[in-house]
Amino acid sequence: MHPTLLLGLDGATFTILDPLMENGTMPFLRGLVDRGVQAELMSTSNPLTPPAWISMITGRNPGNHGVFDFIWADQHKADPYFTLYNFRDIRCETIWSMVSRQNGRAGTLNYTMMSPPPVINGYVLPGLVAWKHMRRNIFPRELYEELKEQPFFNVKELAWDFELEKKAEQGIQKEEYRNWVSFHIRRERQWFDVMTFLMKNHPCDLTAILFDGADKIFHMGWRFLDPSSPVDEFDEWELEIRELCLDFFRALDGFLQGIVELAGPQARVFMASDHGFGPSWFVFRVNAWLHEHGYLTWKNLENLAENEREKAKKVVEKHFVLLDWDKTTAYARSVTSNGIFIRKAQNPGENGVPMEEYEAFRRKLTEELLAIREPISGKPIIKKIMTREEAYPGAHNDQAPDLTLVMADYGFISIMNKSPIIARRPEIVGTHYPEGIFLAHGPGIRQNERLDPLSIMDVTPILLYSLGLDIPSDLEGRLPEDIFTKDFIADHPPRVGEPTLVPDTLLPEEKKQQSEEDNGEQQIFEQMRALGYIE
Amino acid sequence: MNQESLIPEQTILSSLTEILQDITADWDTDFNGPIGADTKLVDDLGFESIDIVQFIVAIEEHFQRRGLPWEDILMSDGRYVDEIKVGDAAALLYPHLNKL
Repeated sequence: MHPTLLLGLDGATFTILDPLMENGTMPFLRGLVDRGVQAELMSTSNPLTPPAWISMITGRNPGNHGVFDFIWADQHKADPYFTLYNFRDIRCETIWSMVSRQNGRAGTLNYTMMSPPPVINGYVLPGLVAWKHMRRNIFPRELYEELKEQPFFNVKELAWDFELEKKAEQGIQKEEYRNWVSFHIRRERQWFDVMTFLMKNHPCDLTAILFDGADKIFHMGWRFLDPSSPVDEFDEWELEIRELCLDFFRALDGFLQGIVELAGPQARVFMASDHGFGPSWFVFRVNAWLHEHGYLTWKNLENLAENEREKAKKVVEKHFVLLDWDKTTAYARSVTSNGIFIRKAQNPGENGVPMEEYEAFRRKLTEELLAIREPISGKPIIKKIMTREEAYPGAHNDQAPDLTLVMADYGFISIMNKSPIIARRPEIVGTHYPEGIFLAHGPGIRQNERLDPLSIMDVTPILLYSLGLDIPSDLEGRLPEDIFTKDFIADHPPRVGEPTLVPDTLLPEEKKQQSEEDNGEQQIFEQMRALGYIE
Repeated sequence: MNQESLIPEQTILSSLTEILQDITADWDTDFNGPIGADTKLVDDLGFESIDIVQFIVAIEEHFQRRGLPWEDILMSDGRYVDEIKVGDAAALLYPHLNKL
């Protein structure tokens, strides 16, 4: 198999990287772009970390892989139970498994939703896991003990710090910015050190790492890096933070260089981000709007004891869970889903929207939302609304929002019970934009080329092709052949192989159900292919 | 399910104890005693909600069961119950693991 690297950069965007390459902050990346292929990489319908990375490593859209957000809920119950998505919720085979079963070795570091870790031919160090649970979530388990013996290894810096992230979400204070950026430089270094150790001691055919610090820096420090920011008007503190942010990208450039040089000139290098980034200047408090328009009722807290009431009020301010479910027909579950869920009555007489009224209800809600205007400019605040079927076509879209909102500034919604319903942010923050990045470099890859935008789902077939493996017939992503030279493609014609396998993590009854669904889907694919509708 | 194929509550308790010992093996906690039926997840082991999420996944993996009604077992009003003991969790899990 041909050695292949996937360097994931969470949230990376050419909007920032282009100027950083131009001004000498990222000289290695500049060289890589000049010697390779670049393109925008279009994210999932809601450009969000979990669904987007899983689409990248499965070649399927969230409607098929089943991951839509950070949190998951059984919304059919009277009082929904919320928890985090994990690896067992992914309904499609990952590229780690595709490589393993074709006798290759795969190593994956810091990828989202990789716990509990899958058993693969290689290793898994999951992302989004707190240090207290890292030991149990690394595969193989003895690898943790081996890493612990290394002088560079500091699991508390390597792992996800939920407290710190929660704090950052609520807004960090001016005096905390310095530590915030420095922490992310140290954390990326941890992952770099682990990666290089593993490349030297446990080499794989496909080695994939996800550096997630850029996303954090952009969220909190967008204005310090935005090319349109008036840097010459920055005060001393702003200039210092900008310089620290640039230090982060200088360090990242060095880590990328170290990894690519260690892999050697024969390796093919692919760099990709899950989504892009850009400025957000207003916030839409969607649950407050739904309340005002009669779709949502907050739980009456007056009946609770005083101490419980105070606790509950704090939950309500930040959370959606204390709703009066009997009187709620539509609600937003999380900031990150950018979606509205409709409570459906499963049986006659139940609370919720009766199934026969669902389509009309959804259409009316959509029209009302699209009519909302920003009070100052008078412009629509929502660019587009997608139904579940439009945003996430597939066999496993039952956990997707009924409506996915694309805000005018691509910002995240707010789910808080606050007014005003539409508010200008006190200062511009960074938010997820759909256009991520894609770079490719190495033997057989064209040089200094800029291609039309690719789909995030294309990354799996690209990596499989680079490795010299078959591309499963049921991937939604395609192989953009113009990444490679014509000679290379002629010498190495792409091969379509057997469909992907049902993940091992599904329980027996889930596997049976999915096999039946997949067989049906495959038959439809075959028929469409035979009829010439798809290639 | 017949009587012989039921998972005894004591077996569930032992499994939960083993899982918790494994989870907390390298934590810096002040808790010195052995983990048992009276151990409180929050007060004794310092569990936070993210730890409970991991505990739930570990239980489901151990018993090869998913979709257990955790909202009845560990939650109240959308929040994890603070005072839950390991023995309580075993007792609450018993009917669900045995599909009673």
